[in-house]
Amino acid sequence: MHREKYTISTRQISLNVVQTEIESIRRKNISKTGLRVYKEGLIGCAGAIGSYREEALLKRALKSLQGNVRYGFELSKNQQRSKDLRRKFIDKKNILEEFSEFLERVKKAQPNFIFANKINLTEEEYQVQNDAGLDLTHADRVLEVGLLFKEKSSVNVMDGFAGFWGRDYDRELGVEEINKICNAYQNPVDLPKKKKLPVIFRSGDMVPFLKFLKDLEGNSYGSKSSLFSNKREQKIFSEDFTLYQSRNSSDTLLTPFFDVEGTTNNHDRYTLINDGVLMAPFTDKRAAEKYQLPVTGAAAAEYDGIPVIGRPHLTIKGSTKTAKELLGGEPGVLVMIASGGDFTPQGNFGSPVQLAFLFDGEKIIGKLPELKISSNVMDMYGKDFIGVSKDSMGPLMHDKYLMMHMEVSEI
Amino acid sequence: MFNYPKDLYTDVRIEEVFETKIIYELGEIQELKTRNHKGAFIRIFDGDKWYYSATTDLKNLQQEIDELAAYGTNKDIDQSPVVTGFEVHKETLGKYEQESISEVPMEKKQELLTSYFPMLDNNEMITYWKALYSDKRLVKEFYSSKGSEISYDTQWAGFSLSMNFVAGEDRFQESFQKASDTFTDLLEEKENCEEMIAKCEDFVKHAKPVEPGKYTVVLSPAVAGVFAHESFGHKSESDFMIGDETMKKEWAIGKEVGAKLLSIVDDGGVIEGGYVPFDDEGTKGKRTEIIKEGVLAGRLHSATTAASLEESVTGNARAINFEYEPIVRMSNTYIDKGTKTKEELFSEIEEGIYIDTFNHGSGMSTFTIAPALAYKIREGKIAEPVNISVVTGNVMKTLALIDGVSDKVEFASFITGGCGKMEQFPLAVGFGGPYVRVKELEIQ
Repeated sequence: MHREKYTISTRQISLNVVQTEIESIRRKNISKTGLRVYKEGLIGCAGAIGSYREEALLKRALKSLQGNVRYGFELSKNQQRSKDLRRKFIDKKNILEEFSEFLERVKKAQPNFIFANKINLTEEEYQVQNDAGLDLTHADRVLEVGLLFKEKSSVNVMDGFAGFWGRDYDRELGVEEINKICNAYQNPVDLPKKKKLPVIFRSGDMVPFLKFLKDLEGNSYGSKSSLFSNKREQKIFSEDFTLYQSRNSSDTLLTPFFDVEGTTNNHDRYTLINDGVLMAPFTDKRAAEKYQLPVTGAAAAEYDGIPVIGRPHLTIKGSTKTAKELLGGEPGVLVMIASGGDFTPQGNFGSPVQLAFLFDGEKIIGKLPELKISSNVMDMYGKDFIGVSKDSMGPLMHDKYLMMHMEVSEI
Repeated sequence: MFNYPKDLYTDVRIEEVFETKIIYELGEIQELKTRNHKGAFIRIFDGDKWYYSATTDLKNLQQEIDELAAYGTNKDIDQSPVVTGFEVHKETLGKYEQESISEVPMEKKQELLTSYFPMLDNNEMITYWKALYSDKRLVKEFYSSKGSEISYDTQWAGFSLSMNFVAGEDRFQESFQKASDTFTDLLEEKENCEEMIAKCEDFVKHAKPVEPGKYTVVLSPAVAGVFAHESFGHKSESDFMIGDETMKKEWAIGKEVGAKLLSIVDDGGVIEGGYVPFDDEGTKGKRTEIIKEGVLAGRLHSATTAASLEESVTGNARAINFEYEPIVRMSNTYIDKGTKTKEELFSEIEEGIYIDTFNHGSGMSTFTIAPALAYKIREGKIAEPVNISVVTGNVMKTLALIDGVSDKVEFASFITGGCGKMEQFPLAVGFGGPYVRVKELEIQ
């Protein structure tokens, strides 16, 4: 029998912003533990929130073996690695004062707007350990300033979203980030009169990846339910397009470099599509075995759950060009909010764009009217794919610019 | 129960959770677990700011209260309009003590799922399927420095059969779901499931991409429910109005906001997914008419928003679990019934679209629905199936374009998903309505 323990500890200070002022402060300190036991090809699991007695947890995990959940896969073993990304870029004790000051600055800089929503400083620690020599730990601390804004004269619940999130903070740069969006918002511009335009997404925005998240899922792929089934090792996208399942800390925040089965990858990335060639769908150990696919490390589970395929973070390999160079002098549609769109089973994509700006690769020029965008997954990452910029969206921003040509029109 | 700090408002919410989760994939069991845990959320208000703490250390709640109180500036809190607005109840409500979902043997829950396996296994078009059973029983206690001492239970159980259909090169994914507050209500659903599977088989074989454009659209009761939730339900959550004079003027009660035949209701007292006997600040669940015959009639409140707008609490301050503070959320939201029969609604359409089921929806000034099963309507009848990526419309324009509402309300029955607002997802809500016809919607 083998034992394995998975723990997640979260410490968070959360400020709620109402009318550009801090309305509340919430503190959270919660740890969740899952104990898994592996015996005779079966898995049992039990979990606890907060403190627990090891013996009682083990007893429950052993009892859950009676559920007869098969798990005959080799445990991740003989690996020790620890990564601690926590940096003290802001003093927790002063967070209320700091962001009261920050919001005062924003209020003065943007007198026509009201801001609301959350400012979170989150610290997470993940650990997976087993008696086969596995001991992986990952810790991260991230600041997320996510402010919904509305013009004071607006009758909408919200008009847009401005903010920054990452492992750094500077008050002046933060205010600049908000100003960049709000200033552009107050400058309405027309949509260029072309059927197809460069459309620019935040590289961390999962909307353009929805089809991959559904159809590159190992079970969907393996059971021939996917648009991409049977296309492994075929070149079906642009040769400039390389897609990673990523746990690399330069691509992700608050994401451990290992999955819940303790699987790790070189450079914490797994290449799903390489230069346009489909290499593999994303899998956990179970799907990999069932469909004779490689294990990519996409297992996820609740703290007390049994691993299944999760929803991995997908990242496109960056180009060597800046956003301006990628656009080549043509202004593009920078998508800030595109909510509610989706792909059809055939891969056709349609979405409203509730907030978009005209962008020249360096400067956000002005606010576009509400739009609709459409394309097909094969075109988006095939003939219409432009690339991902080497420059990030701002000094406090983690994300880069993802670009592709799409049909764009006003709603 | 607690020594409440002087001159501050304090409340404590303690949640005891029982949950079951069973998952089978292609007949093989993947997950089988029950979970029991307890946690607490403490709130302290000094008349200016709120101070919150989420903890699992229930033995030291008093210490947590005292530590949190140190942040607050003591004021004459009893005069605060927020605090005067709180309801005070001393009540114990054990509605489900006699038929607790936690007392149903695990084997019965497994049998419920496994009884569907032959139907799924023997269907050649279903290449992949996953069966989920899930239940949750919650016993909540609520104590406040104003004198509330409340204990009550809620529970919700259901199952979902998620299926991937393949016919040649064509693919389609859909799920059959049933949910209720009692286990016995989940039984006897096989006929409905067979009917859904037959629809999906026809859909995957015959659906063609829709010609994008503007169409008259009929929404099924489930889709009408999500439309009500996304289009106007979120606009009725009054936290967005706090201190905003423009919004107060724009959304004055009595304003005409939709067609005369449109009424939207939120009711925490209905036994559906969003059943709220008491909300998470101790207010009793209530029925709120949001839109009545096209006119803005009410909105949803917490004590803070009610005080800000000088209105009354409605029982809509809800948190997804003990780790979060309550914010203004919907409970069970539905479009009220009209006068036409379903047949009359369809018969008056020469060419249009019928949206039967949906994958997801969203709502801001523009709302969206991503349909699953959808059909053309031709000469008053449901015709060939069509693939649609998204249905969109401007909320306010669309509410005025509703020109037909059928005569019977049905609630959607879901165990997966839920409502998301800011960081809090998923919250169990209920939604439904009659069949609703909209003169014009954008189809992509």
